[in-house]
Amino acid sequence: MDNIEEKISALYDGELGDTEVDEVLLMIENDINLQNKLSKYALISSAVRQQKNNVQSITSSRRSKKFNFWVSNSITAAATVLITFFAINQFDLNRMGEDLSAKNQINIAVNSKEAKDTANRAEENLVDHVMEVINNQPNDNMTSYNVDLRNVGYTRTSPNSRTYNKGNKNFILRIEKNNLGIKKVRNWQHKDKMIYVVPMQDGKVLTLYGNIDQKSALEIANSINIK
Amino acid sequence: MKKDSTIEDSLLIKKAQDGNEGAFNFLMTKYYPRVYASLYSFTKSKEDSEDLAQQTFIKVWQQIATFRGDSAFFTWVYRIAINLAKNHFVSSSYKKDKINVSTSDTDFDIPSYTNPEQDLMHYESLDKIKRYVDKLPEPLKTAFTLRESEGKSYEEISIITETPIGTVRSRIFRARENILTYISEDLLDG
Repeated sequence: MDNIEEKISALYDGELGDTEVDEVLLMIENDINLQNKLSKYALISSAVRQQKNNVQSITSSRRSKKFNFWVSNSITAAATVLITFFAINQFDLNRMGEDLSAKNQINIAVNSKEAKDTANRAEENLVDHVMEVINNQPNDNMTSYNVDLRNVGYTRTSPNSRTYNKGNKNFILRIEKNNLGIKKVRNWQHKDKMIYVVPMQDGKVLTLYGNIDQKSALEIANSINIK
Repeated sequence: MKKDSTIEDSLLIKKAQDGNEGAFNFLMTKYYPRVYASLYSFTKSKEDSEDLAQQTFIKVWQQIATFRGDSAFFTWVYRIAINLAKNHFVSSSYKKDKINVSTSDTDFDIPSYTNPEQDLMHYESLDKIKRYVDKLPEPLKTAFTLRESEGKSYEEISIITETPIGTVRSRIFRARENILTYISEDLLDG
């Protein structure tokens, strides 16, 4: 058995010769234990390569309803053994020799290919943006800036921090180079926090995320020359 | 030199394109965790991620004949998954597990986010996995790390460690098996 499992390990790494691949595939297809073994290798691989700040728990108990993949059964078995496995960064493409700029290229390609029209594309970009804000993930489109909000009573929590506060109000401030296709102020609630996305006159977009009401957000936006 | 997923999986991809379901199943089992994780980072919902992962695989199977290797295989799969996730977000039928909308100018929702207790638990588990790797005998740890963390081919690892390729293959396999054993022992210890 070790020999076939070692071959599965090698095939997983793309290191098995053509003549042996068919033999291994045939054996896996007829053996649920081997299917489980393969899925465990995949889980270990993901766990080892994942990034700490994107760790999430995954315990799967549901099976495929639509397609009879090995994975639909084997992933469940593997998950019960591992208890949790680790969600890799959605942009964890480093192993393929790609980087953050490639990530953006992919996003652009995805959007331009798939968007039905400009409005839909703008919404998709906005979804991406808000998700990034909630996940506190700076992106390559962010500008470096030094915004002083003391004129409206807000101070930074530290000299270079993006977090500002005044009394019990606090928020994170971001400025994006791209206007994200919006022409008016947009806002959302996420649990006890608000997200305000405000278009600026120079084409940039201001985002405030935190415990702050709409009136205060607009006052802050106006104080830094917002349309 | 790192191997991208297209080169690494070229044999399996070719077979899958020729209609070999076993090869396709192997690829999907291999990439399921990464696809799921990508979707989970978007949806923050296990159920939605599972559903979208299933849809992704079905779409990949339907379209794999069109894959020409212009991008890495996982990148191609990833695009399909993320497009499905984006469509899912803008779909008006997406109603569950969302944040509240409090203003009139909002026309899409955001899934609920993880809580700090969950994060803490996961960090602990992550450290465990790292400890499992650290526990490996040095030759196994070196080969496994070069493969999984550095993306080196067996031939490259063979040159670096000055060992035959067959030995490299065996060490990586034994490293995986040892890690699974450590995990099982931890579970038994409770």
